[in-house]
Amino acid sequence: MAAGTIAFSRTASPLHDRPRVRRIEHLDPYLLISTLLLIAYGIVMTYSVTIEDRAFSGDIIQPMSRAFLYALIGIAVMCVAAFVDYAWLGTFAPVLYLVALGVLAVVLVIGTTTLGATRWVQLAGFKFQPSEFAKVLMIIVLAKWFADRAGRMGSPLVIGGALAILAPAAGLVFRQPDLGTSLVFVAIFFGMAFLAGARPWQLTALVAASVAALPVAWGVLKDYQRARLTVFLDPYADPQGAGWNIIQSLIAVGSGQLTGKGLTAGTQSPLGYLPIAESDFIFAGLAEDLGYVGALILFALYAILLLSALRIAARARDAFGGLLAGGVVAMIGFQIAVNVGMAISLMPVTGIPLPFISQGGSSLISTCAALGILQSVAMRREDAYVRT
Amino acid sequence: MREPVVLVSPRRLTSVALLVVGVLVVLSVRLYDLQVVRGPYYRELSEQNRVLRIPVSADRGLILDRNGTVLVRNVPAFAVSIVPVDVPRSQQVSLAERLGAVIGREGQEILEAVLAQRIRNPYEPVKVTKNPISRETALLLAERADRFVGIRVTPETIRFYETGPLYAALMGYTGPITREELETRAELGYLQADHIGRTGLERVYEKYLRGRYGWREIERDAAQRELRELAAVPPVRGNDLVLTIDDKLQRIAAEEIQKGMDDGRYTQGVVIAMHPKTGEILAMVTVPGYDNNMFIRGIKPEEMNALNSDDRRPLVNKAIGEIYPPGSTYKMVTGLAALSEGTATRRTVVNVTSSVLTVNGFNFFDWRAHGSVDFVNGFAYSSDIYFYTLGGGNPYTGQGGVGPEALTKYARALGFGEPSGIDLPGEEVGNLPDPEWKRKTLKEEWTLGNTYHASIGQGFVTVTPLQLLTAYAAVQNGGSLLRPHLLKEVRAPDGTAAVTVKPEVRRELPIAPDHLSAIREGARKVVTSGMAFMPNAKLPVAGKTGTAEFGQASGRDSAGRNLLGFHNWFVSWVPKGDETGTDSDIAMIVFTFNSSKGACASCISPAVTTSQAIYERYAGLR
Repeated sequence: MAAGTIAFSRTASPLHDRPRVRRIEHLDPYLLISTLLLIAYGIVMTYSVTIEDRAFSGDIIQPMSRAFLYALIGIAVMCVAAFVDYAWLGTFAPVLYLVALGVLAVVLVIGTTTLGATRWVQLAGFKFQPSEFAKVLMIIVLAKWFADRAGRMGSPLVIGGALAILAPAAGLVFRQPDLGTSLVFVAIFFGMAFLAGARPWQLTALVAASVAALPVAWGVLKDYQRARLTVFLDPYADPQGAGWNIIQSLIAVGSGQLTGKGLTAGTQSPLGYLPIAESDFIFAGLAEDLGYVGALILFALYAILLLSALRIAARARDAFGGLLAGGVVAMIGFQIAVNVGMAISLMPVTGIPLPFISQGGSSLISTCAALGILQSVAMRREDAYVRT
Repeated sequence: MREPVVLVSPRRLTSVALLVVGVLVVLSVRLYDLQVVRGPYYRELSEQNRVLRIPVSADRGLILDRNGTVLVRNVPAFAVSIVPVDVPRSQQVSLAERLGAVIGREGQEILEAVLAQRIRNPYEPVKVTKNPISRETALLLAERADRFVGIRVTPETIRFYETGPLYAALMGYTGPITREELETRAELGYLQADHIGRTGLERVYEKYLRGRYGWREIERDAAQRELRELAAVPPVRGNDLVLTIDDKLQRIAAEEIQKGMDDGRYTQGVVIAMHPKTGEILAMVTVPGYDNNMFIRGIKPEEMNALNSDDRRPLVNKAIGEIYPPGSTYKMVTGLAALSEGTATRRTVVNVTSSVLTVNGFNFFDWRAHGSVDFVNGFAYSSDIYFYTLGGGNPYTGQGGVGPEALTKYARALGFGEPSGIDLPGEEVGNLPDPEWKRKTLKEEWTLGNTYHASIGQGFVTVTPLQLLTAYAAVQNGGSLLRPHLLKEVRAPDGTAAVTVKPEVRRELPIAPDHLSAIREGARKVVTSGMAFMPNAKLPVAGKTGTAEFGQASGRDSAGRNLLGFHNWFVSWVPKGDETGTDSDIAMIVFTFNSSKGACASCISPAVTTSQAIYERYAGLR
């Protein structure tokens, strides 16, 4: 790092950002490699759990070519996001916020309804799930909000304002209804507020308020959502009905044993026992096919991904970058915990995709975009050191 | 100068990192427990999921006549079942609809069956055909297997009633089990879309006829191919029924009764033949009947409508399921009541000088002025006034009658007013009127005229043909009222007799043998010189005619035949040796509906001529 490359002090404004630093050298290799491996892992699992379709449609190509297409788009988006200075995102945060609310409102109006939920928008032959992109947009918006008020975290107005920003978006998602994704919003909020330096008493008060609101929330839930929470406590209360998914998922996971039955050799999902095997319950399929070893490899990749993201947060040139990284960690970490926890009966059943592994272009591409932003943060970390 | 940039607190980042690691550790520990510690248990559960248990249907037992002629057999047909796990959920609705169109069922019903089975056991095939499908349809489905993913076309056997209408009233038919029956009989091994005896012997002897399902357990790979058979329990076929029916006599009886139908001499007919010493039913014919094979292949709505709109009620077995006034055949009851109660003897003479008996201003007719008749002749010539007198008394001569209560008492003793106990469903019991009955039912006082009418089997008295035959058989055999029955033996698949039905005496008649022999004497005389003259008689038949008078006497029935309002009975037997003795191998009743315009002596009763023809053909004399 040559000090001479920066001749005079200036703020880290995008207008003054010039590629004088060989930022590519600061790309985070651990994040990149774990991302690419996870994408590959996802493609392998797509192959494994869609093998059954061959018996019916003879078309294994279609889900596979889709998986590759999504991966390519995801990587491309990640590259673009990495090379754009993330400070631009902060500049346009209000616009992005309106975009997020806009797409979430639009999906309620013109969205496609599947399994009772309106989550998708048809566009040019592809189905988009706007709430996946909205998660990333909300991370940007909240990061900007907290970063700009970093010195005033003690003020209730900061936390309150963040809540006011979050509420409309989370509410629109809940209306779809998509309880899982709206919980992801809440997790992102808590994670970012914590990292932004919210006072412990503030966080404690928020948690207490949430717990107090539980009875109210119970009244708002749909019947099937309540049933899921009830059977979570005791799957065998209704083994043929609501508890069915949980029991079959446990059988799938457990029967994988140490090394698994082998790719495509699992029986639970091809034979129709494992519901929504390609998305919500894909972890059960993975654990059945690849066993404990396969699950540990997945966890190791996640650990590398999340820890390197936290390292990026620690080294970021500014609070905005650090909070962006923190938000992404909260989002991905929460999704992993809930999705895997659900498959092994540690969490109630909610439809949250497992990052990289669940099929679905929106989830993969938005996750890639988030990680691209993280790379952008990583690549520009040296900018901070030359500021003095 | 710029104020220092506030960065994210390293301590908080460390906490988040610890949280991330902590969560992953918790998940790993839980997974270790599930996959490594309890893995073998879950592996076994998932293996069970891969085993397919397929029921193997068992043949239903055959039904044979007493000589071993097969009357009901099983023939091959095809059934379609669906293994729910083989059908992708996305395709099940369209599959149900397409399949429904091919096999003639509502797609919704098929879908419901599949959805229910998905919950019960998605690996087990669920039968979706209610009625068997033809070979052509089965081939079509097999050829287009690509369009009907997840279905299995399996051979099964269905009932075939050799002679259809000839035995329909006895055999009944089988039909698909209903949801309620399935629930109450689940522990008996019934499966969905199973068949169960619906009526007739098929229903009564369901427990014997029904076989026991076998099972095949097969292991399959992920592509649903059968890998190997793990276990097999062979099905056990049902027991055969050997009936008391003599197929030869049944055919003769059916042909003879049908002849009169074809000639337009009557509109409905019943023939029952019974062994008077054992109660074994040798033949039971009711016309018009129906073809029970229709119900096996699935009756069409227009066929059902035709059966229901026919006012001759072809679905009813009139031998047991319809009640009629017995007419003069009932004079046996009046006579036996009077003799037993001592209000008359066989030497009691009544002078029938006029064909009208006028009491209290009402006229009671006889069919002729018989002159002076005693008991045997009164019975043989069927004098109405003789039996009016025995039943209700004669105010002019002072001869006392036995009274309505005694008539009912002896009628009950002879088995009227109660089910005969035959092994068929749908038996009627008829009606025995007495003063109390009339008060209760009609709110009117009993009159002498009621007694007169009851004495000759008209008015309120109603009986089934089988009750009448059983009563006469009891008189014939010397006083044992038997339970008529169709089942002779239940034969296990290995040929041994599982059940042998013994003659069952319901009661010994409370009537002196001498009185019974008076009836037998009169009955023989009915044929030799009385009402049932048989030209060229080749057998010493004894019996009693009757003419039931009820129903419309004008107009036409739904088949376009004239309604006459008079219906002929002839209940008879063929004595062996002593013509008035108690030895006989066959008793028979013939009833012809709408067969006469009045009770006349010169009219030849079609019931009598039909009886004579049946007896003589059966004995090989024609």
